[in-house]
Amino acid sequence: MIRTILGLLPTGSRRTVVAHLILTVIGLMLRAAGAVLIVPLVAALFEGDAGVAWRWLGALAAVTAVGWVVDIAASRRAFDLGFGLLDTGQRTVADRVSRISLRWFGAEHTATTRQAVAATGPDLVGVIVYLVTPMLAAVLLPIAIALALLPISWQLGLAALAGVPLLLGALWASGRFGRGADRVAAEANTELTERIVEFARTQQALRAARRVEPARSHAGAALAAQHGATMRLLLLQIPGQVIFGVASQLALILLAGTVVLLALGGELTVPQSIALIVLVVRYLECFTVLAELSPGIETTTGALRRIREVLEAPVDAAGAEHLATAGAPRIELRDIRFGYEPPHEGSGDAGRPVLDDFSLELEPGTTTAIVGPSGSGKSTVLALLAGLHRPEVGSIFFDGVDVSRLDAESRRAQVSAVFQQPYLFDGSIRENLLVGDPDASADAVRGAAELARVDSLVRRLPDGWDTRVGEAGGTLSGGERQRVSIARALLKPAPVLLVDEATSALDTENEAAVAAALTSDPVPRTRVIVAHRLSSIRAADRVVFMEDGGIVEDGTIDGLLAAGGRFADFWRQQDAASGWRIGERSVS
Amino acid sequence: MAKRGFNGVIMRSYGARDHEATVTGVEQIAPHFVRVRMTSPTLLKDVVVSPTAYLRFWFPGVDDPEVEHQRAYTLAEVDEQSGAFAVDVVLHEPAGPASAWCQRAEPGMTVAVTTLGSSRFDLPEDLPTGYLLIGDSASLPAIDAILRVIPAEVPIEVYLEEHDEHDRSIPLHAHPRARVHWVPRRGEASLAAAIEARDWSNWYAWAAPESGSLKHLRTRLRDEFGFPKSEIHAQAYWYYGRPFGNKRPKDLVDETELAAAASAGDEPATTAGIPGGQPDSAESTAAATAAAADTAARTGTRAPAAPPRGTWRAQAGGRLLAPLRSTLVIAGIAQAIVTLVQLAPFVLMVELSRALLSGAGTAQLWAIGIWAVALMGAGVLLSAALLLWLHAVDARFARDLRRRMLSKLARLPLGWFDARGSGQVKQLVQDDTLSLHYLVTHAVPDAVAAVVAPVAVLVYLFAVDWRIALVLLLPVLVYIVAMAIMVVQSGPRTGQAMRWAERMNVEAGAYLEGQPVIRVFGGPAASTFRARLGEYIAFLNDWQRPLSGQKAFIDLVTRPATFLLLICAMGTLLVTTGGMDPIALLPFLLLGTTFGARLLGIGYGLSGLRTGLLAARRIQVVLDEPELEVEAGASSADDALGSTETLAQNAAGRVESDRVRRVEPDRVGRVEFDGVGFSYRPGVPVLEGIDLVLEPGTVTAIVGPSGSGKSTLASLLARFHDVDSGAIRIDGVDLRSLPADQLYRRVGFVFQQTQLVHGTVRDNIALAVPNASDAQVEQAARAAQIHDRITRLPAGYDTVLGSDAVLSGGEQQRLTIARALLADTPVLVLDEATAFADPESEYLVQQALNRLTSGRTVLVIAHRLHTITGVDRVVVLDHGRVAEVGTHEELLHRDGRYRRLWDAGRATASTAAAPAAPVDASEAAR
Repeated sequence: MIRTILGLLPTGSRRTVVAHLILTVIGLMLRAAGAVLIVPLVAALFEGDAGVAWRWLGALAAVTAVGWVVDIAASRRAFDLGFGLLDTGQRTVADRVSRISLRWFGAEHTATTRQAVAATGPDLVGVIVYLVTPMLAAVLLPIAIALALLPISWQLGLAALAGVPLLLGALWASGRFGRGADRVAAEANTELTERIVEFARTQQALRAARRVEPARSHAGAALAAQHGATMRLLLLQIPGQVIFGVASQLALILLAGTVVLLALGGELTVPQSIALIVLVVRYLECFTVLAELSPGIETTTGALRRIREVLEAPVDAAGAEHLATAGAPRIELRDIRFGYEPPHEGSGDAGRPVLDDFSLELEPGTTTAIVGPSGSGKSTVLALLAGLHRPEVGSIFFDGVDVSRLDAESRRAQVSAVFQQPYLFDGSIRENLLVGDPDASADAVRGAAELARVDSLVRRLPDGWDTRVGEAGGTLSGGERQRVSIARALLKPAPVLLVDEATSALDTENEAAVAAALTSDPVPRTRVIVAHRLSSIRAADRVVFMEDGGIVEDGTIDGLLAAGGRFADFWRQQDAASGWRIGERSVS
Repeated sequence: MAKRGFNGVIMRSYGARDHEATVTGVEQIAPHFVRVRMTSPTLLKDVVVSPTAYLRFWFPGVDDPEVEHQRAYTLAEVDEQSGAFAVDVVLHEPAGPASAWCQRAEPGMTVAVTTLGSSRFDLPEDLPTGYLLIGDSASLPAIDAILRVIPAEVPIEVYLEEHDEHDRSIPLHAHPRARVHWVPRRGEASLAAAIEARDWSNWYAWAAPESGSLKHLRTRLRDEFGFPKSEIHAQAYWYYGRPFGNKRPKDLVDETELAAAASAGDEPATTAGIPGGQPDSAESTAAATAAAADTAARTGTRAPAAPPRGTWRAQAGGRLLAPLRSTLVIAGIAQAIVTLVQLAPFVLMVELSRALLSGAGTAQLWAIGIWAVALMGAGVLLSAALLLWLHAVDARFARDLRRRMLSKLARLPLGWFDARGSGQVKQLVQDDTLSLHYLVTHAVPDAVAAVVAPVAVLVYLFAVDWRIALVLLLPVLVYIVAMAIMVVQSGPRTGQAMRWAERMNVEAGAYLEGQPVIRVFGGPAASTFRARLGEYIAFLNDWQRPLSGQKAFIDLVTRPATFLLLICAMGTLLVTTGGMDPIALLPFLLLGTTFGARLLGIGYGLSGLRTGLLAARRIQVVLDEPELEVEAGASSADDALGSTETLAQNAAGRVESDRVRRVEPDRVGRVEFDGVGFSYRPGVPVLEGIDLVLEPGTVTAIVGPSGSGKSTLASLLARFHDVDSGAIRIDGVDLRSLPADQLYRRVGFVFQQTQLVHGTVRDNIALAVPNASDAQVEQAARAAQIHDRITRLPAGYDTVLGSDAVLSGGEQQRLTIARALLADTPVLVLDEATAFADPESEYLVQQALNRLTSGRTVLVIAHRLHTITGVDRVVVLDHGRVAEVGTHEELLHRDGRYRRLWDAGRATASTAAAPAAPVDASEAAR
């Protein structure tokens, strides 16, 4: 945890860290001194020595006041560090996200990352002030008090020193038991509620199938059975709730008992012993304060844990070689294996690879359509070419150069892509296009826009090129977003163009935009399209039909149609689907 | 700087910042009502703009311009970008500072404005049944703003107190379901009396009239109508002056000091002897008579029918927890005892010291030690027992609650689930029951402990020595003031922080979603996110940095060391000069140092109750939802349909008998919509007067722009909701008289949202026919084009869905089609799917549908017109009514609404390849 914090602090914070530590420790010693000063003060009061009492009170006031000053200074530095953490921490996490291996982002990791990016800011500010400093205080203050006790009564001092690890241990055990019990209770509860959620979720199906009553009594019976199990778990709740309380009360009795024994033995005067009882209570207070802090500590450590999880996520390594972009390259995928579940997780029992022993060669400047049923691995091939994923086994070569050895910038410069989900950022249409090539000339922008049919869109919009597309392109329709993303991809002067055609029903303009991107684009490129529509396939020189992660047919459209295989079926089905009518009794 | 009196001092100490606003224009809206437009470059940055938000102006006094008077006015117009805004001001004679200033106002004039503390009106997620808005010309701008944000379908009753004959000429936003009542003022009670005595269940009241009227209004709303406190927003916007007082729109009386200060400094001299006196005295006599009439009127309205006290959802939580009430009370008492026992050792320490001082023998000291151990043991035992008991009670309560929930879910209309979505249901079942668990087992004891401990300590310490005890309250007071200042200083920032958090959550989601694009296009694609992140960090910095000093200060004030110093100082003083027994100092040294922390913990301890109570409310609201009822006459329905009682049997040979029954004449499946009307909210019809007959074995398609009610119409046939008027009959039997089992034996449905139950593929296909043979299941799967896919699954038909294998959307759809084929209902409701993962999947679903629709009465919701050109009948819906009926050809020739939809679809669709021509309104409009 500490390492995470130190790692996130901006460079040059060392001095502030050290200053904060020193000030905190001085503040603590002053607080301990203040606590110990009660002993002579109380003794003087009980002995009726007013002059001495006032003198000690003056000392107490002075120590407390200096303590305030020191603590204010310490807290200012703690806040400085907190704001430093906020700034670099957030940016570091955001930067890191763009380098983490994409397949790491399962549903759970995505949620964690999202929270780490969006919701940890306020917590980070308080990390030092509300987590580090109080923890330090809780551990160091009782030790300091115990040490200060040694000269007054070495027996009591030793007992107090011994009490520190014991009480901290009790606090830790309390938390551990409590969390354990909470977890068990939550699991039991989740199990119970999941049945009801499932029951609610499938009401349509259950009712249509007239299975509501059986399902209800089934779920009800399961609930009753699990209820019994829950009751048996109740005893688990006890330790977490009482351990710390018992320990601190016991410590109070034992320490006070020691004081009394010492007083009876004549080693302490009565006023001294009374003052020491007060001191014992003050000593125990530190632990109670820490116990009360724990809910806040939990949220803060939660935030840190999420950040650490992101920072420790696997990163796609980049090489160091530089490669200038040249003409359309010859592309080769050689003996590729890839699966979305990383092999090292789950004890070698990796999910089935999507691609295994997959090879494909694409000639320079050609356009290849990859066709196949969903789940056949065609989009995965595109993602590998785009550099979004790294093959587990095998390599990808552009003109004979292994792309995994390229540095990130060169690798990125090789490909341009149109994705199914055309993510646009909140800015004008022009700005979104320029993402493809920030240095593009006005002519180039116009040309790309024309090909992608963005020009007609721009003419329709009230603010034209300066129309803001809204968050994630929200003010445009799906088809319009798609066209802007095609123009963006065309503008990027990369020698490889990858297109993942949208499956949702889009209009003719989009279809034309895709076709133009494949045929009329003036930049020499090697093009690959994952195609769903006949019009896009027609624009390709070659068709590769994939099924279950392998290539089952490969050839020209006419050749494959003539062969009458899977592709021919696909072609025919596609045709039939577009002409289908509800309620027709025809068998196609 | 002008004098602003006590009022101004308070405001400044709260950190209110002055902004200068420049008048840009004045518009006379009514004879006595002007809109003053102003602009200020800085002001709006401090404002959280929401309906009813107001600004505080400092107007120079009428007599002494050096004295400024504060008046608050609701924002009527606002443009955050340019810094322009406007307020509406009621002018009156004699003019107060605001009136006088506004009458003179002309472009270029400036006035000081602050934004400190404003109210806001938020629409809750769960809208009330209606809004009761009460006010007068002074609160009219706020009411106008509220009317603008309340959705059109929510009914609103507006009661406005009329003070001036011109009041009615002030324009008010026209809300389609708002009814406005003007009530001439005849006294303080007249407005309250005018509120209709009716059942106001689940309404929300927003009241901002004159202070005197408000007092009566509160009583009427709360005591007579039963409005719970949480469902009333009541704030006096001004108050009637003294004896000959005239109307003085004043600052809002939300902070009493501010109001008091304002009234003290405001125009007392102008009230007497100026023309305003005459109408006032007239009114006062009128008021006297009106008061008498009032009481008569009120007893009059109440005598025949006392206003029914409504019930509110806000109170539902209490009902849910009612059975636990005595348990919780006992637990609270037990916890109080535990808390006291846990404090006892400290008292014993005092006794120990006393014993030591008096030189007591070992026996007495031992006695104290034994007491301490015994009390500790008792405390541990008692708290453990309490904990166990509460958990046991909670477990039983939760089990019963879950049972009730299951029964409820089984009887709610299917539309209820549709309207909520899985997330909301999950929140209810999962999170809310968990919150309830926390409420019962922890929140109540925690709250009791949090309150009892400081109170007990306080009482004890005051009993020992009230002077030192009093000193202990000093840091607490400082804390409260410092916190209040901080809260006010944060002001709008707190709300902004929440909006930032939501916004960053969305942004972060988009950033993650956009990762592929960002990785291919590099830096520029991520730049907006980076910029936004920077802004967010800057916001947090600007907000929190200035507060960090105060936070450190607050920490210092409440820490034990501070209390220790105070105790020691006061104690030394009293012991050395006042002759106080030093032993009296001990309780303070032992318990007093943590007193501050304990006292401040009360708020935290109580906060746990809130979430639990909200959860209880949500759960009870669901338990209160109306269920689908089976009307009497079910047996006659059986008669009408012949041998249906045998259908209820779960006989082994059911499938066989189903097959046989298929040719029986009673399974014709003739559907009849007879004058069907339906609305989700009363008064907003979604469907009206639908008359339609679906002949057996025909396919009928419903088309229409989105919002035309086509999905609703289809869902009614599947009894997702009950019709409000008219009836839907299948083979002559009203749907509502059919028990669910019999209904769904006749009606099946396949919607875009497929629902797979947890289990094997086989379980899922044979859901309605659990006894189906393997051959029958396979036959259905083959017909639905899913058999081949199933055989490729790891365990074929025995593959457990979800854990062993995941099916694509199209495959799931085919699986549910197989299920519907096996269920074999004579009537089928179908939602034609539009989104497919790939064309092959689309093709297969289409083939599956071909099999499913044959030989049945089919009602299909159509999204693409070209797919329905072959159906037997097309029904065009428009605004909830049947616009046209006929075959595709007939309707094309008729050249009506259908023709227009068709042409619009053609315009965007490609004739050959593109399978799509969505006919939703947005597309068709182009």
